[in-house]
Amino acid sequence: MAAREPSRYLARALPRTSVPSIRPQGFLSRRNVSDEAPARRLSDHLTELESASSLSTTVPESAAASFDPLARAAARKNQLPRGRYQFRSPKYNRGPLHPHQPPPPSHPSSRLFVPGPFSAPRAEQTFDSTVSPDIMTLCYVHTPPGFKPPPKSARLREWDDSSPYHKNRVLRGPRGGDVLRLLRKPIKFNNIPEIERITIHSYVKNAAAERNSSWLHVAGIAVQAISNVRVETFKSKSNVAPWGIAAGRDSVAVKAELYGENMHHFFGKLVDVVLPRIKDWEGVKGSSGDSSGNITFGLIPENVALFPELEINYDMYPPKMIPGCHITLHTTAKTDKDARLLLSAMGIPFYGKIVN
Amino acid sequence: MSMHTSLRRTAATITNSTTTILPTRLPTQSSSTTFICSQCRHATLLRRPKRPYTFTQLITLSDGSTFTHRTTSPAPIYRSTRDTRNSLLWNPSSSKLMNVEEDEAGRLAAFRARFGRSYDASAPVADEETAKDPAAAKKAEADAKAQAKEDQEEEDNLLDLISAFGQNEAPPPPEKKPFKPSGKK
Repeated sequence: MAAREPSRYLARALPRTSVPSIRPQGFLSRRNVSDEAPARRLSDHLTELESASSLSTTVPESAAASFDPLARAAARKNQLPRGRYQFRSPKYNRGPLHPHQPPPPSHPSSRLFVPGPFSAPRAEQTFDSTVSPDIMTLCYVHTPPGFKPPPKSARLREWDDSSPYHKNRVLRGPRGGDVLRLLRKPIKFNNIPEIERITIHSYVKNAAAERNSSWLHVAGIAVQAISNVRVETFKSKSNVAPWGIAAGRDSVAVKAELYGENMHHFFGKLVDVVLPRIKDWEGVKGSSGDSSGNITFGLIPENVALFPELEINYDMYPPKMIPGCHITLHTTAKTDKDARLLLSAMGIPFYGKIVN
Repeated sequence: MSMHTSLRRTAATITNSTTTILPTRLPTQSSSTTFICSQCRHATLLRRPKRPYTFTQLITLSDGSTFTHRTTSPAPIYRSTRDTRNSLLWNPSSSKLMNVEEDEAGRLAAFRARFGRSYDASAPVADEETAKDPAAAKKAEADAKAQAKEDQEEEDNLLDLISAFGQNEAPPPPEKKPFKPSGKK
């Protein structure tokens, strides 16, 4: 604010002519001898200037003909040395108070940077062009102007103050169970349910049985092949005596989390190529789902072997070690009903009793 | 208090954080939650993410439509023989994909006419019965007529119902009359 206002030194610093004078110029008819002086001096300066301009200089023909930067670059044998300053992200994160901070993972110089997306997956294009307008139309609920929805009671109930111990107690859960379901808002243009991520999880029960880790390696590579994503391994949380699995000791499961481009490619491949080839497959069970918009189904090892990535070099995988897997489709829908609407529009069939 | 909070950083419930040096990131949690993040002093390695090499593959579906995707499979083209275009689950109304029985001699139809249930024996049954004896044919004809009459009546009733919908308030007695025969049925 202070900078905007004219400084009190400004008037003094500026030359006299550029400061607006208090007296109006129009009424000034008096002439002074000193008025003539600047004009004469200006003409003197003009004569002192060089008449030749750099704009009028001509380039010799030979120089213009030889100027070809592309050919020069192509003819160069060795690469030019790189720029002198290149930022390298620190290898370690040393905490928030350290002066040398790594750049955010979205920055190309970050060590965690993942470039992409490089393609527009078909499933995503289908969703954008066809499925999302359909879902928005299907879920449209018309309310006349001036309509006010009836007020709902609070989901967390107050305690009746029958006991003095009710004071400052946390609110009671909803009636009929302690689970607070997700709130489903009316579906508008900005919250159309879409596929958020896909999780491929495989529990290998033989991982600890024969004291060799090959089962887990094969499972990890198979899941990586079908998903384009490096897998994570997990240790068992519980003892399973018949399989010789001890909690916290044995790595028994692999999981791949798919987001964005990988997810859409996997989804398209799954729906268009793999699921139709499964023998006597009825679809995903209608009661599947965690009632907050995530649908899970399983594939047995024979079905996993139908993926084109495993088929192309089927001999690489020991046939008995090809894993089955659970595939969870996480959607941004708040209820299973919306999630099923989305997934069936995207091409996943459901069968049996539909439980919402 | 200050020593306590510097050791275990309670992110949200600090109200009197006067002496502790907290990171610049302010707690965004709601005030009811409390989580304790034990401070880790060691440096954590920033691992470069590992990504399998992917190829672009052209998938040709059984009806000839194609699309590309990124995959770990090195084959440039994948031709599918069985996909959503020719599987019955995705094309439930396609007669080509349904395994329709071939019944050229009409033996299956004859069996169904004799022992089948009502939904099995719809059109061909009547034909065969009429071919057998004229009495049955007459009866069937009469039945069909009665059925048609009934249908017509019902349709009239429905039409009356539709036309009388909005006019119930103003002139009730003349509009009510067509409803009476519906009760007789």
